[in-house]
Amino acid sequence: MSTQPAHGDATIAVSDELAARDDMIVCRDVDKWFGDFQALSGITATIKEQEIVVVLGPSGSGKSTWIRCINRLEAHQSGQIIVDGIELTNDLRNIEKIRSEVGMVFQQFNLFPHLTVMDNITLAPIWVRRKSRPEAEELAESLLERVGIPEQAQKFPGQLSGGQQQRVAIARALAMEPRVMLFDEPTSALDPEMIKEVLDVMEELARSGMTMMVVTHEMGFAREVADRIIFMEEGEIVEVGTPHHFFTEPAEERTKLFLSQVL
Amino acid sequence: MTDPMPPAAPSALAAEPVGPAASPPDRPSLPPGRWIRENLFPNARNSILTVFAILVALFTYRGLLNFMFSEERSWIAVRTNLRLMFTQAYPEHQYVRVWVTVGIVMVLAGLSAGIWARWGGVTLKRLMGWLMSGGGLIAVGVLIREPSVLTDAAGETVRDDAGELVRESFAAAMADRWVWWAVALVLFALGLALWLRFDDLARRTSEIPVAWLVFGLPGLLVASTWVIRYGHYAFADGEFIAEPGQLVAMSTRVPWTVMWLLLIGCYGLGRVARERAIASAQAAADASDDVEVAEEGAGGEGAPELPRGALAKTRAVVNLAWVLSPFFLYWVVMRDPEIDYAHVFSTMLPMGLAFGVAGSAVLWWLTRSDAGEVGRLAAIGLLLLAAFHWVAAFFGWYSMLQVARIAFLLLAVAGLLAPNFAGVAAQRRRLVGAWLFVVLLVFYGATVINAPSTIETPTDMFIGGFSVTLLVSVLTIMLSFPIGVLLALARTSRQPIFRVLSTVYIEVIRGVPLITLLLFFSGVLPLFLPDGMEIAELAAAILGYTLFSAAYLAENVRGGLQSIRRGQYEAADAVGLTTTQRTGFIVLPQSLRVSIPPLVGQVIATFKETSLLAIIGLFDFLRMANSVVPNQSQFLGVRREGLLFISVVYWVVAFAMSKYSQRLEQRVGLGQR
Ligand SMILES: Nc1ncnc2c1ncn2[C@@H]1O[C@H](COP(=O)(O)OP(=O)(O)OP(=O)(O)O)[C@@H](O)[C@H]1O
Ligand SMILES: [Mg+2]
Repeated sequence: MSTQPAHGDATIAVSDELAARDDMIVCRDVDKWFGDFQALSGITATIKEQEIVVVLGPSGSGKSTWIRCINRLEAHQSGQIIVDGIELTNDLRNIEKIRSEVGMVFQQFNLFPHLTVMDNITLAPIWVRRKSRPEAEELAESLLERVGIPEQAQKFPGQLSGGQQQRVAIARALAMEPRVMLFDEPTSALDPEMIKEVLDVMEELARSGMTMMVVTHEMGFAREVADRIIFMEEGEIVEVGTPHHFFTEPAEERTKLFLSQVL
Repeated sequence: MTDPMPPAAPSALAAEPVGPAASPPDRPSLPPGRWIRENLFPNARNSILTVFAILVALFTYRGLLNFMFSEERSWIAVRTNLRLMFTQAYPEHQYVRVWVTVGIVMVLAGLSAGIWARWGGVTLKRLMGWLMSGGGLIAVGVLIREPSVLTDAAGETVRDDAGELVRESFAAAMADRWVWWAVALVLFALGLALWLRFDDLARRTSEIPVAWLVFGLPGLLVASTWVIRYGHYAFADGEFIAEPGQLVAMSTRVPWTVMWLLLIGCYGLGRVARERAIASAQAAADASDDVEVAEEGAGGEGAPELPRGALAKTRAVVNLAWVLSPFFLYWVVMRDPEIDYAHVFSTMLPMGLAFGVAGSAVLWWLTRSDAGEVGRLAAIGLLLLAAFHWVAAFFGWYSMLQVARIAFLLLAVAGLLAPNFAGVAAQRRRLVGAWLFVVLLVFYGATVINAPSTIETPTDMFIGGFSVTLLVSVLTIMLSFPIGVLLALARTSRQPIFRVLSTVYIEVIRGVPLITLLLFFSGVLPLFLPDGMEIAELAAAILGYTLFSAAYLAENVRGGLQSIRRGQYEAADAVGLTTTQRTGFIVLPQSLRVSIPPLVGQVIATFKETSLLAIIGLFDFLRMANSVVPNQSQFLGVRREGLLFISVVYWVVAFAMSKYSQRLEQRVGLGQR
């Protein structure tokens, strides 16, 4: 048992541990095909605890596919994905374990329309975490407070605005007390005036020390909140760096081209 | 709703829409003359169509009335045979069982109606409309019905020289029908009085609870049997009784009065419980946070909703009682088991105890957190053992009580479920508790089923008529629902074997006529059963209907399943729900509410299709009217009256179901938008 490279490069296997202690998500040579089409090729990256990583890239570059592989909404075909020390394999128990550690927020919110906001949030804590109902409701109330909509608990999702729905979705994910939050374009389906309220919640979350992986087209958020930016194209990671590096002195041609289009 | 509104002058009111804030936007109502002109006679073509349609309606109405009131009709056949048509030859001294059954249904119906109180209301305006058009319709009927045939002193019809029936004059006919005139006038006058009394729109659109009408009208009817001499017609001890001008028999009047009192009493109880729950929730909310309540109060208008979670236990109990009651009432009505206590004490009781204790021990062991693979293997071993007993039964290797085979199988199933309950002590206790409950149920059921019934009747099948129709449809619907849902899930599952099996089943069943299935189950199935196992004809029929209806229900549910977007599955997965939880909490609730209309359609179809029971030799409602009554010596060939009567009863039930489904749709659609 050796622990020497505590902050070392995660691609160097640590003798008999799967990953270093504070590595939250580790991907090694991840490949993913849809039929003949290779959506991810050789993705290798590590996300440390409390780190905020923003994933950028043109449409169709595989950002959603990657983030969805991390909680097994898609299965990768080769390579390793290790979340919080647990490797994602076909073993159902590992998948369930990881899903309860990883929160996910979708572009289309995907709230359960037949349940009230309160039930949307408490369902999983009660049935997966085996919390008692009062306990779960108390948690839900504090989370709704945190995302700024404590008064909407008894409404149905269809009665809320897009921004409110997305904040409920964030609260729902947080109710599982996850170690990592994944966001797949959380603001892309929102009207401009609602984007800010969701980004504010995410910023607050980032400041509170949550590990986050965010796919977004909000360059402002990337610049201000991200610890690191990963740029993808055609299923590959093209460039990785701090926001400063990324926005001021990108190394790769393809990154420059992308930035020139979006900025 | 009852806010005082500045009373508007009646004339101005019709043309002027009401102020925007004061009352719900009402379609600006036109004066009747203008409405008729604009909607019925806007141009030449529509006028012709309107006149034509009215003529068709009038002729149909006249034909129906002439049929109903013709001197050839023998409605006495229906009145005399009411009991027969509803419960067939149910022995008189056991009739209290039937009343117990009806009583339990009344209690549950009253409680549910009181607690949920979701019946909504009828606006005064509509009520007035109903009263006035009811009166009008009767008046028109009185006018257009042909005059009655004259009879001589001996009661024979009078014929003229040409042999034609002689009818009374129009004036005499109108005078003869004074009772109907009076009824029409009273209804019309009631409507008119309401109209004049409530002369502003706000009050006209205020609502009367439907419950008042639904409980009040039967109440009036029941009460009137104590006063009005409807006549007493019946069969008693094989004798035909006809006593016009008498009160209805005590044995009918008293139970129905009790039933109505039960209904209304339980409704009251339910209402009280509901009001209390609302009040206490209100008080709790007031105490905790005034601001919030004020806000909600402004949002929710109208009748106070039952707060979420209030009365949850009571509601769960009532719902459970509804689900279990058909199975329980089946026993109440069908059997009076003569239990062989020697057998119970020597065999059933010890065996039940053994299964209870040993099974609990096995399950307790299987749910240890470290049972792991050994536990799984043990459960599979149990399953193999259970399967072996059935194979052995098939080949007759050794004998074993059927109930033991069933118990082994159930234990194996519980064993396979055990990993879901492993670890936590509370969960383990829950599984063991469930097992003990199942053992109790199975052994009690086996004891009662195997005991001969002591109800002795003149015919083999002592229950028949509407009660059989109802029994078969209710049990069929309740049994086929879960099967249908499972089939639909299997057909959409990722497991190819489930998918294939379910698809084959559904397609085979849907390709076979129902009547074939019924004949198969009533005639052929008994030959396939292992020795010593019998199945009542009625049970065989229910099985046939269930398997048939399940295939159709499955297709309806599948339609709903396909309407669920992929994001819902992903969101459920992402929060860590298991497949079962995802199906039960997210997918099924949403898809079932989408498929309410076709599901209710299927339920109504099943209800009507029970009329095929006649073909496999059971005495259902249709057979009573179509062959039993017309074969009675007093009423030889009197068929059409009975058929019309049962059509009305079928229609009332089917219509009630379809109305209920509409309400259900509206309610679950709430908050969906
Ligand atoms: N289920 C699927 N079957 C086949 N191809 C797919 C599937 N899902 C995604 N793809 C393909 O994989 C590639 C990557 O898709 P992905 O959704 O990951 O892109 P993205 O980077 O999220 O794009 P966007 O910014 O538009 O969301 C695309 O070319 C897409 O067509
Ligand atoms: Mg995407």
